[in-house]
This record gives sequence, structure tokens and C-alpha cells, in this order.
Amino acid sequence: MEKTEILKVEHLKKTFRLSLRQRKNEGGVRVRTAVDDLSFSAYKGEIFGLLGPNGAGKTTTLRMLATLIKPDSGDAFIDGKSIVAQPYEVRGKIGFLTSELKLESFFSPNYIFDFFSELHGVPKDIREERKKSLFARFGIDKFADVKLGNLSTGMKQKTSIVISVVHAPEFIIFDEPTNGLDVITAKAVTDYLSELRGEGKTIILSTHIFSLAEKLCDRVGVIIDGRLAALDDVAALTAEKNLEDKFFELYSEVAGDRQ
Amino acid sequence: MSAILTIMKKEFARFFGDKRLILSILLPGLIIYAVYTAMGSITQSFTETPVQAVVCVRNMPQSLSQAVSSVFIIDEGEGDDEALKERIREGDLDLLVIFPEDFDEAIAENALPDVSIYYNSGDTASSSAYYAMTALLNSFEESISDVLTINRGEGQFDLADSGALAKDILSMIVPMVLIMLLFSGCIAVVLESIAGEKERGTFATMLVTPVKRTYIAAGKILSLSALAMLSGLSSFLGLIFSIPSLIGGLEGISFTMYGFTDYLLIFLVIIMTVLVLVALLSIVSAFAKSTKEANGLMAPVMILVLLCSVVSMFVPNTAIGIYFVPVLNSAMCISSIMSGALSVAAFLITIGVNLAFTLLLAVVLAFMFNSEKIIFNG
Ligand SMILES: Nc1ncnc2c1ncn2[C@@H]1O[C@H](COP(=O)(O)OP(=O)(O)OP(=O)(O)O)[C@@H](O)[C@H]1O
Ligand SMILES: [Mg+2]
Repeated sequence: MEKTEILKVEHLKKTFRLSLRQRKNEGGVRVRTAVDDLSFSAYKGEIFGLLGPNGAGKTTTLRMLATLIKPDSGDAFIDGKSIVAQPYEVRGKIGFLTSELKLESFFSPNYIFDFFSELHGVPKDIREERKKSLFARFGIDKFADVKLGNLSTGMKQKTSIVISVVHAPEFIIFDEPTNGLDVITAKAVTDYLSELRGEGKTIILSTHIFSLAEKLCDRVGVIIDGRLAALDDVAALTAEKNLEDKFFELYSEVAGDRQ
Repeated sequence: MSAILTIMKKEFARFFGDKRLILSILLPGLIIYAVYTAMGSITQSFTETPVQAVVCVRNMPQSLSQAVSSVFIIDEGEGDDEALKERIREGDLDLLVIFPEDFDEAIAENALPDVSIYYNSGDTASSSAYYAMTALLNSFEESISDVLTINRGEGQFDLADSGALAKDILSMIVPMVLIMLLFSGCIAVVLESIAGEKERGTFATMLVTPVKRTYIAAGKILSLSALAMLSGLSSFLGLIFSIPSLIGGLEGISFTMYGFTDYLLIFLVIIMTVLVLVALLSIVSAFAKSTKEANGLMAPVMILVLLCSVVSMFVPNTAIGIYFVPVLNSAMCISSIMSGALSVAAFLITIGVNLAFTLLLAVVLAFMFNSEKIIFNG
């Protein structure tokens, strides 16, 4: 089967100027490079995992892809649209989920779904149909009119997931989608991601959980210190040893390089 | 474009669905009403204490008997004069008035009879009774001296427009009070909706949708302006309803002395002012990392706005250049409308300048929404 390249990341770089307080803690450096010359591609219909330890630059990368922050240099193309030059087109094509983007706890899932559907310009009949099936799929229907602030963490996360796909995007970016969830809720989320892949959607997700990447992803990019340390099919990466051991091997290589 | 409406609807749903926020909008008006009414009734109770003074009159002349007894309560005056004076010192009696025995005859012969009035200046009731008595005697004196009479015929002698003074007073006070009330209304809603949303992380969620940043800025500014107007209106009503008890019927002040056009013009100016204030405060709010910081940043803006509204009391409203300064021009305009001296040019400049300024601020705000440094600096 011919693979269609739907995401093309080219030499993305992002640095942050540190505040005075941060500078002191870091021993005087002024800027921190969060993502350093990152390039990779993702293909239509696959789940691509960005795997890396805390502070590796996963969230920063995904935020750039979602057009919330701009790269210092480099570019990425989602379905041919540049995240730098065509942010509005990109936003219409993606669904983005990250723990920093919150929903107003004052409103019910029902209201928030309608609100974001309208912002995405989804017609009313399609919206109602989609809402019905998504709410049923995640068991939100019983809580559809309860204020978000009164829902459990799991139900909130499910609502966030549903809201991120109100416009049925072809390209989905999820940052640590199972963080803080119990195994049952986490399974509901990963099952949904597999389901989306089944529908031919492309998913890019970040995680620091090796077992999740091993089970769910088709291909994995390992990021350490903002750089790509490895990029391959999960099958190839785990050919000789499991992902965790492979990661430590990569990590000591990178750490060795630095010394 | 419909995204602007969607965002406005959401802001309204947010505010009207939350008792706490409704209260924060309506509370200023209620507080103003309660405080001013209380203040009014306190000052009134000070000025209205014992109305009728008790006086003792020796040798009451026929000609004055009627007038004196209609104003004062007459004490029979038992005992000698010294005993009565003692009673005045003790505050039991307010005045002792002693006429000469042949007062009426002396008046008839154009003589100058001498009247003695004993009072106690240390006692408020006694000294005000003293002033009342001398005023009464003075007017009696005027009425018997047939040298000349002043204004004793029928007709209106004060030729001033009866409302002019009242209008002047209002045109000084109202702009300042109005703008400060509107400003406090703006603070309440903008803090909650811009700094609050940013702090809670709900604002960035909207930024991942393909809605133009200018539309988000417009939706926020328009809906928050409407809410701020509501809050301003509540304050304004509170003020109007408490005015009667506050100034206890200050002669000639009434809100019917302005016509429909006056109110319409004021309303238009108010809309423009609120738009400018909301846009300005939105920008300040968006800069802040938290609601708390935003609250602190409001203070300098507050001082500026206060300055504008105070300056408006002293600048002559003929200087056309002043109408190019946002907010200050609003205060000037309202003042001119209320004193009945608004020029068309001044009004048009005010509306135009404030509208242009709001648009400029909205564009700035939209740019800020695009900046990751602003959105993710929490
Ligand atoms: N706004 C910012 N200002 C300064 N430094 C930042 C900022 N955002 C991220 N960083 C730094 O950039 C680096 C990468 O952060 P990032 O959040 O992308 O890591 P991550 O891989 O998502 O980690 P985690 O697993 O903890 O979520 C970190 O060192 C972080 O401290
Ligand atoms: Mg992260």
C-alpha cells in the first residue's frame, strides 16, 4: 500500500528566553533550547508516538504543530498547509488535546460542544448527530447537562477529548492523553484512538509511558533533550529488546555524546 | 463573522447563568442606593431636629402677637426675668424677648423702640431661635418703613431660567460620577472574562479553533461592553433614586429638565466611552499573568480616567482640541449636554475619536491574542 505523507516536520527549532529567576536556577544561561532541529514525517492512517522523558520537548513540539506557538526556525506541513504561514487553515484541520487547554467549568458538556462546534462552523444537524454518538460512545450522555466543574477527572478528560474532535478532524494531536486517568478510563481513551485509526485518521500523540507507545503506536520518534534520538516502526525498535531497554540504550548514547 | 455572535452569546450565558456574577454587576447600584439613602436620612435628621422653639415674650405687642405665636411656642414666663434667663442657660427655654411697654405707639410715632432678646449661643436650638426671631423683627421693620418697598408687587422678579443653576451643578457633577461608575462596572466584567479566562487556561482552547483573533477580540469587547453598560446602568439608577433623599429637594433639580434628545446623546456618548474603557482594560488584563496582577494594573488606568473626569470640570468646553482625547472628550461632552451647550462638531469628534480608538485597541488586543508570550506567560 502506498503511504501518504500527511505531516512533514522540517528542522523545527524552539528556544525560550528564561526569566531572571529561572536563570539563577540554571546557572546563568539566558535561553533554553526546548526543541532542536527536529524533522520527521507521519503517514495517513497511523498513530505516531513522540516518546521522551520529562522536559524532552514533546509538549513544545505539539504546541508548534497546533499553531499555538511559533517555531524560531523550521516549518511543518499538515496536509500541505504550513503551520507558520497558514495557521488558520491548519487549525481547521486538526484536533488538539493538551492538559493546559481547559474548558470552562461553569458550562455543561452539552453547551461546550455546541460552542466549539459553532466556532468551527459545523452545521447544526451534523453537530447534533455527532454529539449524540460521541456522548454515547464515552458515556457523557448521562452528564450532558451537568456543569463540568461537578464532573470527575475522567469524565472531564473524556469531555475534553470529545470537544477536541467536534469538527471531525483528519489529523489529531493528543498530548499525554492518558495522564492522570485510571486504567479503565485510560483504556477507553486508547480504544478510541485505535478506532479513529480504523477510520483512516492520523494521530500524533506524546507520552512518556513505554508500554502505551509499544501497544498503541505504529511508529515512534524518541526525543531526548529536544533532539530526535531514534525514529522507526515500533516493530523495528523492539526487535531485540523491549522499548524501555531500547530507550535507556539511546539515552546513555546521548548522555555519552554530551560528555 | 457568526463567531463574534457565538462568543458574545457565551459571555452572556456565563454572566447571566452565575448568581455571583449577576450580583457583581448589580451590586454597585444597590450599594450606592443604600449608602446614599442612609447618608441622606442622617443629614436630614441633623437639620430637622426640634423645629419649634420655646420663647417667652414680655409685653407682647398687638401687631406682632399673631406672627410670633405662629412661629414659636409661647411660654407663659412664670417667675422673674432672672429665673427665665437661668432656664435659657439650662436649655429649658430658648429665648426671652422683652419689648418696651409702648412698642406699638412708639412705632406709630416713628420712634426707635429697643427690643432685648436673651439667648444662649452655646445651644443650637436657642441660637437658631434667635436668628429666626431677628429675621422676623427685621421683616416687620421693613414692612412698616414706607420709604420704599422691594418686590412687594405680583409677578416673577428672578429672571433667571429656573433650571439654569441646577443644570450647571449637574453638568459639573454628573460626568465625573457617571464615568467613574461606568469604569468600575468595566473592571468587574473585564477582570473576570479576560484575566480570569487566561488564568484558568480556558482562553487558549479558543485559540486552537480557526476563528480569527480579531473576531475573538470583537466578540469579547462587544459583549463585555454590554455587560459593563448594564453594571453602569445599575449604578446610575441607584444614584438617581437616592438623589431625592441625598439632597433633600435641592431647589430645581429634576431629571425631567432634559429632553429625549439630550438623553439619547448622553446614551451614545456612554456607549462609546464604555467601548474605549473595556478595550483598554482588556489589553491591561491580557498583559497580566493572573487576575490578581490584573487587578493591580487597573490602578494606574483608574487614576488616568479619574484625572480625565476631574479635568473636565475645569476645562472650558469651547476648546475643540480637548475633544480629541478619548474619555476626557466623553466627560466634556456629557457636561456640555447637561449644561445645554453642546456643539455638533464637538459631539461628532467625540464619537469618531472614541470609535477609532476602540478599533485601534481591538486590533492591538487581537495581536496580543496571537502572541504566545501573552497567552502562555502564566
Ligand atoms: N514557556 C516556557 N518558558 C521557558 N521554558 C519553557 C517554556 N515551555 C517549555 N519550556 C522548557 O522547554 C523544555 C521542554 O518542555 P516541554 O514541556 O516541551 O517538555 P515535555 O517533553 O512536554 O515534558 P513533560 O513530560 O514534563 O510534559 C523544558 O525544559 C521546559 O522547562
Ligand atoms: Mg508535556
